[in-house]
Amino acid sequence: MDNILLGLTNVLTLINILAIIGGTCIGLFVGAMPGLSATMAIALLLPLTFGLPPATGISMLAALYLAAMYGGSIAAILIRTPGTPAAAATVLDGYPMSQKGQAGKALGVSLTASLVGGVISSIALLTVAPILGGIALKFGPVELFAVAVLGLTMIGSLSQGSPVKGLLAGVVGVMIAMVGMDAISGAPRFTFGSIQLYSGIPFVVALIGLFSIPQAIRLIEKDQQLIKPGSIKDKMLPTFKELKSMWVTMIRSGFIGIFTGLIPGTGGDTACWFGYNEAKRFSKHKEKFGTGYPEGVAAAEAANNAVVGGALIPTLALGIPGSSATAILMGGLMVHGIMPGPTLMTQYADITYTLIWALFLANFVLFGVGLLFTRVSVSVTKVPNKVLGPIIIILSVIGAFSINNNIYNVYQMLLFGLLGYLMDKIKIPSAPMIIGMILGMMLDNSFNQSLMMSQGDYFVFFKNPISATLLAIAALSILQATPLFGFIRRKVKKNQSTHMDEVG
Amino acid sequence: MSRKRNHILIVLLIVALMLTFTACASQTAAPAPVAEESKYPEKPITVLVGFNPGGGSDQLAQLTNPFLNKYLETPITNIYKPGATGAIAWTELAKQSKNDGYTISVTNTPMLMTNYIMNDDITYNIDELTPLVNVLTDPGVIAVGKDSPFKTYEDFAKAVEENPGTVTVGNSGTGGDDFFTTLLWEKASGLKVQMVPFQGDGPSYQAAQGGKIDASFTNLGVVYAQVQAGNVRLLATFTKERSGLVPDVPTMKELGHEVVAGSSRGYSAPKGIPDDAKAQLLEAFEKTFKDPEFLDNIAKLGQEPDILIGDDYAKYLSDNEKEFITIWDEVKDQVTK
Repeated sequence: MDNILLGLTNVLTLINILAIIGGTCIGLFVGAMPGLSATMAIALLLPLTFGLPPATGISMLAALYLAAMYGGSIAAILIRTPGTPAAAATVLDGYPMSQKGQAGKALGVSLTASLVGGVISSIALLTVAPILGGIALKFGPVELFAVAVLGLTMIGSLSQGSPVKGLLAGVVGVMIAMVGMDAISGAPRFTFGSIQLYSGIPFVVALIGLFSIPQAIRLIEKDQQLIKPGSIKDKMLPTFKELKSMWVTMIRSGFIGIFTGLIPGTGGDTACWFGYNEAKRFSKHKEKFGTGYPEGVAAAEAANNAVVGGALIPTLALGIPGSSATAILMGGLMVHGIMPGPTLMTQYADITYTLIWALFLANFVLFGVGLLFTRVSVSVTKVPNKVLGPIIIILSVIGAFSINNNIYNVYQMLLFGLLGYLMDKIKIPSAPMIIGMILGMMLDNSFNQSLMMSQGDYFVFFKNPISATLLAIAALSILQATPLFGFIRRKVKKNQSTHMDEVG
Repeated sequence: MSRKRNHILIVLLIVALMLTFTACASQTAAPAPVAEESKYPEKPITVLVGFNPGGGSDQLAQLTNPFLNKYLETPITNIYKPGATGAIAWTELAKQSKNDGYTISVTNTPMLMTNYIMNDDITYNIDELTPLVNVLTDPGVIAVGKDSPFKTYEDFAKAVEENPGTVTVGNSGTGGDDFFTTLLWEKASGLKVQMVPFQGDGPSYQAAQGGKIDASFTNLGVVYAQVQAGNVRLLATFTKERSGLVPDVPTMKELGHEVVAGSSRGYSAPKGIPDDAKAQLLEAFEKTFKDPEFLDNIAKLGQEPDILIGDDYAKYLSDNEKEFITIWDEVKDQVTK
């Protein structure tokens, strides 16, 4: 309880409020630019926050993450191009609205929905966090091993497109995690005699390379013709009556966002579609969706902002990032010498609660900044790709160097950039690779530690109730991807539909 | 206050950088005031920190730098080169840095020696350095959770004796100070535990606190707050005399085993720095160690100074080196098998 209040007082210092406002402004502009995703913006900005106290730096990045989620809807509504992948579902109703001359209203609805979604998920985070702090000590090596296994199976069954490609990326990530000095024996692995590889491959280096460089190359490859953005002529703030009609949708999307965020490897890009589809399913006016219906915008935007808080729950509690953007936030903590995981809720509780409160506050800052600056931010949607591409590369190089003041990391970053570009060309997602890198480390160490504690008895993982449960869920998650499970599911579905027919 | 203002400036700077799409890293070093009598120091001194900002080494540097600045009258700047548990920075110090006295580094024991003792790829050694001073030693301790059945060291030792090799004892990582403390203690007492390496001190003592392992060999500074809060109980300290911070906890010496161990941090320069520079540096350190404000700051960190100057520090390092080589030769086959 003390830590919760301490976190609140920490947030309310000038420096932290400035950091939140700063992060929000950057996030808004970055989100508005098609071609810059929130993940990339955090990866690029991260090294610049090293000079700040951990809580301030991380708060700034969290505010940025949140603001970019809204910023993405600006381009989606005005030029029919989602500014971030998380705004893809916003295009469906947002763009038709702006064609009808309601661009301002669409943005206002998006901003309000972002606020509602964000606040719901921040409250969820604040409520859950103390409970997580309590159970944190129950998670020793045995339990953490099961968590890592579960996390790895999830990337397989949930990565978009082909699960095989997702798993492939995950496995490569796990292999990369093995580089460096083995924490158990102290023996160097895959270091090829170079002490530069002794500490392994810095996580942030891989992140910057994988997320920024491929995008920069893509931008340079196709210099898009500029689409003239629609202008905002009408009022932004929705009326009370309009709000009232969208209330339920926003709250529902908020919860969908939280749960989507909880699952490792899925983020705003998935949540916006979930939110949108569910809103449509429950709506009495299904036919209006896709024609410029404000509720459609609200559904998507509340969901993608709620992801932020949801994704932070497993990140803070267990050290498993719920989305690629929180993976980078985690990298930020690691740079400050804070190992994410159970210790975050105990040893570093002050920083953790500052972050949570910062996120809460950032929702309101975003609302204010959004009302003031959305009109200005329209201009950044016009920045040509050929300008943006090189800037991203320069920032990536600076970022990679500043992690350890070591030029070697720049080469590593560029290599990861090329790898990311190739993976992109053959449609292998890069997010599972990052999760593989994080979980790989955890998997390896906790496995060894568990066996040392059990004197080499492999059944230690099944004797422990928490780890046995988690491993069972993991097994289900794998089975679910096999033909056997598909067969059962089809059968169940068939039964259900016949049942429904009977009733109908 | 100036640090706080700095942070605000950093935030504003970052915002400005991003919004205008320009980024340039510029470090404005203050002009060096020239010392009047001696030629050294006539330019800023760089402190190589082999660990991340915010870590223990950085903490020491942040604490000491203002006083060095005061007594040497020259700016002291930190350069962080983390990686390979300090080996990247120390290799640079030994092999690449100019031995003009303008580059020094925070050196930690036992990492400074165990790095190259344990890994053939790490090629520097302490003979390539000029040890300057040791500042702090965070003593080793044996910690258990408050619910642990071990109330005293005797309880613990008895359990280990009755179940050789099965009582689980955490440490901060293979090759770290707690790892070697455990080995030294095993050798002295003739007892055998199951060592479980963790990644850092935090996870190690928390596993003990949560009852996941039976005990943790860790450092006093790490668990001091938890001991005061009553969450962690100390069974013994590896200090020469009882620590003023925890006067109720017996030392291992009192308990019958001559083991004094911990994690020390000090400063070293490359080999062969000018005599004048060495003398000036040592003098500045000596003045610092007498400064009540400095001692006060150290106490605030929950640490006790462990001052060794010049040749004393060199001897301390080489004695430790010998001890670590012997013990590593004895155990390396079972650890790396």
